[in-house]
Parts: sequence; C-alpha cells; structure tokens
Amino acid sequence: MLQITNLSASIDNKKILKGFNLKIKPGEIHAIMGPNGSGKSTLANVLTGKNGYQVEGQVLYQGKNLLKLPIEERAQKGLFMAFQYPLEIAGVNTNNFLKTSLNTVRKVRGLKELDSLDFLNLIKTKTKNLKIDEKILNRQLNVGFSGGEKKKNEILQMTILEPKLVILDETDSGLDIDAMKIVSEGVNSLRDKDRSFLIITHYQRLLDYIKPDFVHVLVDGKIAKTGCGELALELEKIGYGKMEAEG
Amino acid sequence: MNLNFDEFQKANQTGGELDNIRIKNFDNFQKKGFPSKKEESWKYTDLKTMLYNNLSKLEVPNNKKTSQCHDEWLLKNFKHNQIILVNGEFVSSTFSFESKDKIKIKPLRVILKDKKNFNKIKELFDDQKNSLTSLNHALVRDGIFLEIEDNYSFNKPLVIYNFFNKSSENKIINNKCFISLGKNSKLDVLKCYKAENSIKYFNNTIHHYSIQENAILKQFSINNNLDNSYNYHLTNVKSHSNSIFENFLFSSGSSFLKNEIHCNLLGSYASCFVNGLILLNNEQHHELKTNVNHRYEHCKSSQLVKSVLLDKSSGTYQGKIYVEKEAQKTDGYQLSRALIFSENSTFNSKPELEIYADEVKCSHGSTTANIDQGSIFYLMSRGLSKKQANKMLIEGFLNEAVETITDINIKSLISKLLIKKINEIKFETNEH
Ligand SMILES: Nc1ncnc2c1ncn2[C@@H]1O[C@H](COP(=O)(O)OP(=O)(O)OP(=O)(O)O)[C@@H](O)[C@H]1O
Ligand SMILES: [Mg+2]
Repeated sequence: MLQITNLSASIDNKKILKGFNLKIKPGEIHAIMGPNGSGKSTLANVLTGKNGYQVEGQVLYQGKNLLKLPIEERAQKGLFMAFQYPLEIAGVNTNNFLKTSLNTVRKVRGLKELDSLDFLNLIKTKTKNLKIDEKILNRQLNVGFSGGEKKKNEILQMTILEPKLVILDETDSGLDIDAMKIVSEGVNSLRDKDRSFLIITHYQRLLDYIKPDFVHVLVDGKIAKTGCGELALELEKIGYGKMEAEG
Repeated sequence: MNLNFDEFQKANQTGGELDNIRIKNFDNFQKKGFPSKKEESWKYTDLKTMLYNNLSKLEVPNNKKTSQCHDEWLLKNFKHNQIILVNGEFVSSTFSFESKDKIKIKPLRVILKDKKNFNKIKELFDDQKNSLTSLNHALVRDGIFLEIEDNYSFNKPLVIYNFFNKSSENKIINNKCFISLGKNSKLDVLKCYKAENSIKYFNNTIHHYSIQENAILKQFSINNNLDNSYNYHLTNVKSHSNSIFENFLFSSGSSFLKNEIHCNLLGSYASCFVNGLILLNNEQHHELKTNVNHRYEHCKSSQLVKSVLLDKSSGTYQGKIYVEKEAQKTDGYQLSRALIFSENSTFNSKPELEIYADEVKCSHGSTTANIDQGSIFYLMSRGLSKKQANKMLIEGFLNEAVETITDINIKSLISKLLIKKINEIKFETNEH
C-alpha cells in the first residue's frame, strides 16, 4: 500500500524529517507517536502533498511514485488525511463542499455522481452514525465549529470518501470520551483488508479502541523504535525521554 | 480626439433652452477635459490617459438610426417588463405585466425636444459633479423617461437592456435615465449590459431616481458580460421620507467601469442600501464610489462590497457617509472586503465618515487579504482541483454580497449569473 524509503523533508532550510522509513501493507493499522515537534504532522502533510517542503527520498503508494502526484490526484486515488487543525473556510457551505468533493472523487473513480437526493440520504446516515448535528451541514465549512465538531467533520469526510489509506493526525486530541468512542467506531467500521490506517496520536487511550498492528515512535524526524500495541502502554509510563536518548 | 460638437449641435437643435445648455456644458467640459488622477475622486483612474490610449478616435455618434437587438440576449425563464436601449437609444418598451395607465414611459429624446416636458427635467442639467457630467449634459441624445404614479406596485421587475452593436465602435455614448417613483409605489429595476463582438466604446450614463414617500426602488445593475468597453455610470438618488432605495452592483464585465452612486436622504426614516460585488480578471479596472448624505433624523444606510481580484486587475471602493448636523439618530454602516489572488492585482479602499451630528451610530471597515493557500490545500486534499478550489472560495466569498438581495427571484438569477461568470474564469496566471 505505502512504502516510504529514506524520506527527508525540510522547510526554510530547517530539516524536519531525516531519513524516515515505513512500510504499510493493505489492511494494516500503524500508529505513530512521538514528542511535539518531532515531525508527525510534517509527515502527514508531505504525504498529502502540501507545497513548501523540499522533499527527498521515495514514497510508493499502490506501487506508484506518490511524490509526483498533484494533491487532488492523491485524494482521488484514495489518500485521505484528517487534519490536526481543520481549517475554517468562510463562505463555503459544508454540505455543498462535501457533495462537490464526493462527486469529484466518484467521477474520477468511474462511479456515477450522486444527485442531491441520493447525497442527502447518504449524508443523513453518516451524520447519524457519527452523532453529528445535521445543522452544521448548512453552516460555513468549519466556521465556528467546536473543536470536537471539527474533528468529527474530518471523520465524516473520511467515511463519505471511502479512502484506501487514511492518515489521522491527532484526531483524538480535544475529543471527549464519548466522541472518541464514536470516532473510533467510525474508523473501525471502515476497517477492511484493503484499507490501511496511519494514526498519529499522543494518547494510548485511542489505541484501546483502535487496535494497531504496529506502533512507531518518531523522534527528531526518524523512527526511533517500532513495536506492537504494548509499546504504546510502555510509552505512557516512561515517556519519550529515554527513547530520545536511545535514538 | 475630435468630438465634433459643432456638427452635433447643428444636427440636434431644438430651438429651446437645451441648445444653450449644451453649449455652456460643452464649454465646461473643454476647460477641464476628461478626469485625471489630479482629482480626488479619480485618484485611482487616469481616465484621460486610458481613453487616449484605447479610444483615440472617439467620436460622437451621428443621427443615423441603428437599432438592432438580438433576441437571444434577452433573459429567459424570468418574467419581466422590458425597455431596450441599443447604442444608448430608446428602441422599445413593453409593460406586459402592469396597468399601463399608472406608467408614463417616453424615450428621453422626445422629452428633450418638447418645451413643456423639458421643464420637468431641466434641473437635472444643473448637476456639475465633474467634466463627464458636463459632457453628458452637452451630448445627451436619448435615454429613458419613466414616471410611476402614486400607490402602484409593479407586479414584475423591469429589465433595462443596454445593447451595443458595431455602430457603437469608437463612439462616446451619452444618455440619461430618469425614473420617478410616486408615493407608496414599488419597482424593481434590473439593468443588463451586452456588447457585440468586443467593440470599444465609451458609455457615459447618468441615472436620476426620485423616490417619493414610502416608495421602494430596487436597482440591480448587472455588468457580467466580458467586453472591451469603458463606462462611467453616475446614479443620483433623491430619497424622501420612509422610502427605501436598494442598490446591488455586479461589477465584472467591462474593461473599465466606474459606478458612482450619490444617495440623498431627504426625509426622516428614509433608508438606502448599496451592496455589491466586484469580480475582475485580466487587466480590468473597476471602481465604485458611493456618497450617502444623511440630512434628516432616523435615516439608515448600509453598504457591503465584496471584491475578488485576479491576474492584473485592479479595483477601488471609495465610500463616504456624510451626516449633517440635523441628522440625529442616523444609522450608517459600511464594509468593504477584498480578496486578492495574484501579486499583480490591487485593491484600493477608502471608507470615509464625515459626521456633524452627535447622536449617531456609524461604523465602517475595510480589509484586503491574499487568498489563503492553506484553504486551497485543504480543499484540494479532498479531491478538488486547484481550479475547483479557487472557484469554491471565490463563490463563497462573494456570496455574502449576493445574500443581501431581498428579492428571492432576483437573488437566484444573480446567483446563477455569478456561478456562470466564475466558471468562465481562466486561472492561468496562478496555476503554478
Ligand atoms: N512552516 C514552517 N516553518 C518553520 N518550521 C516549521 C514549519 N512547519 C513546521 N515547522 C517545524 O517543524 C517541526 C515539526 O513540526 P510538526 O508540526 O511536524 O510536529 P508534530 O510532530 O506534528 O508536533 P505536534 O505533536 O506538536 O503536533 C517543528 O519544530 C515545527 O516548528
Ligand atoms: Mg502535529
């Protein structure tokens, strides 16, 4: 699904990722933990295609060179990132945005575009499952949404777009316990042998709900340690300090 | 540039007062010439240079009738009354949805030639705002004269079509539109513009609106069709007590367009709304200048202008609220927001408050911002192309202005025209 080899990324001559390696197979769930500023969001941004980074190394996504693809093609080919800080976009109606996004992606994937009624039915089910107040659909995209509503809106987009590779960047941060459960259920409902997840989090609690196959610790731009689910528990106890010394 | 006034004067003599008015005004114009940046209200546009560079062979049209209008340009699926002007000349009017005995409609040329009628509009020729007004007084040949009786509400909007065909090439077209709305009456006016084959001309129009007590006049000025024309549209409004004037401007089509709107609130509880959008690309340059005069108590005025500038385009908003000493309890509001898509485009905004009364509620603000690259990234990360993302952001941004329109049919019409316009934009210069 995804193979990252020796990935480096800098911005304004500041090196953030320093030889990052990771391989994710279809159906796997990988968690990435790591101290603030270690480069987790940078990794997510580089994979999603954000401009402004000088990038070196190789990233193969479904066997193709991901780094050469324009942002929208990555999304159309099934890459989805839930933003750590979803942007507020004034004037753009949430419902209209979701529909345009879905239909653009469907068109590229050779599926029939949904008309307003079909879309309404779809969105009704999805918002209900995620316990999202339907009223936010008629508001401007993320504008004035609470922190939790913004995160849920990211998950809503994920469930609608049905991506192949999902990157969740601290989606759990700022969620209350109930919301965390709902979001986890949303993720788990999408689990599939053909779909992979890369979950960036600071808290082991999320990983109680979404069981990862691997946990990686990112320190200073590269992976310092890889383990199974228990590694998260261990980190919870000892913190990153020791890891940094080792790395 | 030879405007050949003498020839025009000979051909258009009425034997009445107008002849001398024309001579006097042409004299005034010649003393000043076309406006340049030296004048405060033209500090962002050097019209003189602009016209010399683009319309050096500008001339006054001759009297030959040149009336041809293409039916495919008329609005479809939108019930309306209509007046058709071709090259500034009154061609026809149909008021299919109205009681015709309540409406007096005449081509302005008829009024200009008739002594008794001319007296009714004589005072319009006193207005000496700038050299273009003088020029208009000197060279006006036709336009619209429309009077609506008291207590008459139009059933359907009136669309004034302004068509320009090949005969307008290199011409300076001066006309006037006079509308008087009686007490308790109500009218919606849409003005649409269309030019044939990207011909170049200069259109100088003065609108005079007189709105009597309790009357409501809404004007929607839709300049959405791309053309190579240069335009100065001056609107003078006299609003009497309890009346409402609502103006919406869609400023997007022509090479150069300056709208200047002067609202005089001449009775208590009168209100006026001047809202609009400016959407420009290539090398277009559009301006909006407003001047709202509060003269009596309890009047309200509100202005919202949203602008989007692409490529090498530039836009200007000069908005003024003037509150006289007597105008207590004035409520005045003014906001301009502009979004810049290219480093080669500019927007100038100059909101102004001049207040002599002490008990007023007035506010104004203005922001100009670059398009947020983060927002574009967010939308593209959901599968939208850069073009789609840009369009979505532009539409979302400008929609706030469209939302001010209080008539739902017209709002939906303008909303559709805006989407169509946005879809026509080529995003070449910022594709990389
Ligand atoms: N545009 C930028 N200019 C300069 N430095 C940047 C820029 N973007 C990120 N950085 C720096 O890169 C480093 C990594 O940032 P990143 O956001 O990837 O960290 P993170 O691991 O996601 O942290 P957190 O856990 O706090 O979210 C930080 O030191 C940050 O300040
Ligand atoms: Mg981060």
